[in-house]
Amino acid sequence: MQRQQRSTAHRFVDEAVTALPDDAVVSYESHENAPAIVIRADRVQSVLSTLRLELGFDHCSCVTAQEYETRFETIYHLTSYDDRTQELSVVVSTTKDDPVTESAAPVYRTAEWHEREAYDLVGIKYEGHPDLRRILLPETWQGHPLSTNYNQNQPQIVPLDEHANPIKNDSRQGDTMFINIGPHHPSTHGVLHLEVVLDGEQVAAVEPDIGYIHRCEEKMCQQGTYRHQIMPYPDRWDWGGAGLLNEWAYARVIEDLADIEVPEYAQIIRTMSAELSRILSHLLFIAMYALDISGEFNATFMYGFRDREIVQDLLEELTGQRMMFNYFRVGGVVWDIPELRDEFFEDVRAFTSDLPQKLEEYHDLLTSNEILQLRCIDTGELPPEKAKHYGATGPVARGSGIDYDLRRDDPYGYYDHLQWDVVTEDGCDNFARVLVRLQEINESAAIVEQCADLLEDWPEADRTCQANVPRTLKPSGECYRAVEGAKGELGIYIRADGTETPARFKIRGPSFSNLSALPVMAEGEYVADLVATLGSLDTIMGEVDR
Amino acid sequence: MAVGLLDAAPAQLFPEQVTNALGLPGVVGEFVGALIAAFLVGNVMLAFTGVAGPWAKRKITAAFTDRIAVDRIGPFGLLIIPAAAVQLLAKELIIPEGADRPSYDLAPLVLPASAMLGFAVIPMGQLGPVNLQLADPEVGFALTFAFASIASVSLVMAGYASNNKYSLLGGLRAVAQNLAYEIPLIVTAMSVVVFTGSLRTSEIVAAQQEALFTVAGVTIPSWFAIVNPFAFGLFLVANLAEIGRNPFDIPEAPTEIVAGYQTEYSSAYFVLFYLGEFLHIFLGGAILAMAFLGGASGPGPASIGFVWFVVKVWAFFLFTQWCRSALPRVRIDQLIEIGWKGMLVLSFANLILTAVLVGVIAS
Repeated sequence: MQRQQRSTAHRFVDEAVTALPDDAVVSYESHENAPAIVIRADRVQSVLSTLRLELGFDHCSCVTAQEYETRFETIYHLTSYDDRTQELSVVVSTTKDDPVTESAAPVYRTAEWHEREAYDLVGIKYEGHPDLRRILLPETWQGHPLSTNYNQNQPQIVPLDEHANPIKNDSRQGDTMFINIGPHHPSTHGVLHLEVVLDGEQVAAVEPDIGYIHRCEEKMCQQGTYRHQIMPYPDRWDWGGAGLLNEWAYARVIEDLADIEVPEYAQIIRTMSAELSRILSHLLFIAMYALDISGEFNATFMYGFRDREIVQDLLEELTGQRMMFNYFRVGGVVWDIPELRDEFFEDVRAFTSDLPQKLEEYHDLLTSNEILQLRCIDTGELPPEKAKHYGATGPVARGSGIDYDLRRDDPYGYYDHLQWDVVTEDGCDNFARVLVRLQEINESAAIVEQCADLLEDWPEADRTCQANVPRTLKPSGECYRAVEGAKGELGIYIRADGTETPARFKIRGPSFSNLSALPVMAEGEYVADLVATLGSLDTIMGEVDR
Repeated sequence: MAVGLLDAAPAQLFPEQVTNALGLPGVVGEFVGALIAAFLVGNVMLAFTGVAGPWAKRKITAAFTDRIAVDRIGPFGLLIIPAAAVQLLAKELIIPEGADRPSYDLAPLVLPASAMLGFAVIPMGQLGPVNLQLADPEVGFALTFAFASIASVSLVMAGYASNNKYSLLGGLRAVAQNLAYEIPLIVTAMSVVVFTGSLRTSEIVAAQQEALFTVAGVTIPSWFAIVNPFAFGLFLVANLAEIGRNPFDIPEAPTEIVAGYQTEYSSAYFVLFYLGEFLHIFLGGAILAMAFLGGASGPGPASIGFVWFVVKVWAFFLFTQWCRSALPRVRIDQLIEIGWKGMLVLSFANLILTAVLVGVIAS
């Protein structure tokens, strides 16, 4: 069914492509996930705005940049919020001598950060980009680490004055104050640095400065073999409990590339464990959000951790680990449900049956608290058009009333066989995002319950946890695939060149795009709301900085 | 301080009792007696904070949040108190570059000192033959508020002198908050004065001793909290804001401005701030007990009054910790709005209502 859907989508895209001006399109390619058109480097904006405005490609999911032997390439992975199966890759290639291409930032705001990253790591220059600076590495860095001629032995000097006051020489007589929030600050949820200009208590401007824990995840994945060496990395992009969801992102893309069919039984285990992982992540959000709004160790915060502990135990039982699960394998999962299955399912059911009462308690403490409502309703507003422009996904998009969930819209795993709902809220504010996550815990629990029922009754002879996968995988082709992570659309692009390791491994962290929307949400608000808004995005720096 | 003959003469005050007991003669004797009495009362208050800060606060918060908290050192973890004291004092005192020295050093002294001063006029009831009140001037009630208000000076000094932007924000917030809440606090307190017709703290307590009515054999005393619960509620909320506890912990607001005015303070200076904050909570509790909860009155003989007083003060402390565990924090503009548009109006309404009622009863 999935395949059929795809082929209709391809046909639609083929028709759509004919609407583009002839002279802009250079050639056609085919990626594993979508057709690709190669366009001229000076026609990027006109092609993309036609695609966005006339053909409904309103979601620029990811921008991949890479270097070939003879050329640089930028790929815009386009899709639609209304129909995720409609996909199109727009490829822009440039020569090595003059790696300049037109920027897509005026068409998709989300491209602003993505192109900065492409410039930073690969070295492509984007003409017409509003602010083409390095994003992950310090301003003073020499060279572009993912380009072929990068000399990694070159000494790098990062002066301390990198964070000098940017408005020091501003001669205007204003009453504004520049303040660094982070990288070490109680509410930045990791090493995030916000450069904030305050007008009294109000935020006049805010600019996230990221890259403090850039750990070269993409490069490391490019050096690992497909079969075993890459899977542990996705866990490390999210230490908030969403590791299994991240593993699935890699599993999905490599299984598509290498044409591996995952046994149904393994799919159900994956679905169940991934949803437990989502609950873990969302409970952490609830706890941390209470901290952002109340400060210090309040009851909601500790209750969140108390309830997480139960899920944590379940996942430990299943995967043998509490944080860096490394449970998924290419073609399935590493092992079956642990022995004394009955006991495991009993524990799972005990958790899911207690959950509604606990959620009620969270609603009592948080969402029905008038002070919290006062703080969260109509603050950190993100209207749906802006959310789409910034490529917001996950609970952030759903809190802005965008009915978009990859589990339903681009089905994978076992989700389309189960009964559950996509939660959306129309508030577009901090409160809506809290509500979405609280309700999603409920939906996830429903999925877990159904999976547990299925797994328990599964015939013993048919419990295959892994497909037959060759010891050495040497796929070829290009593929961008995403899954619904805890924070949103977690996409991975792999260019496989027939060797054991990926030629390019690009990660689209949902928090990266979500965080880029922070300035429009927080500017003009109070400092306290800035903190609340940042909290409501539920960013995790592991997948922002990678 | 001359106690008029016609006043409902309180028993001898604590300093006089000390002077007489030690047989110290003359003015010097009175002075020495007063110093000894103040030293004793001050130490009781410090002991409260010593218990509250490192131990009770942890235990209470833990109980609210499903945890156990300190239980390893000593019975019920009580030895954490000396351990925490040693630990805190042994830390390095770091003074930021560019700190405004005299005020940076003075701020942590002003905060606890102002709270300690406040206790000078609080009638803390009797413990056996000892009458625990240091002074009973005619304007005692006004004095407590005056002393308590000095706290905001300390916060501004700390916020400004630290040469840190977070501290500055915290200091500014402290001023805004104290302005917005001290006026309703004092206007509400004035309604108590309208009832009693006196600013003398001992008389405010004495006025609450009569029985209000009797229900099923239980005599309900005429505590002002019972006579005028509306004023009590107002006072309680304004008091929370005054001591800066959730939902009004704006000046510190960890997760927003790191720790507000105390961001840069470490070691002994930090301990002094910490101490001062707790003393202020206890002072807030003491004022509340004195003005609305009948001071040291309670079942049993008057000679155990101090026990009841302590119970009331600690009940208020428990209340602040409860709020801290359960309530989110309001935003600064919302705080100001609640203060100026809500509390102030309500407190004046309460004052007028009380005045009318008192007038009606009197006529």
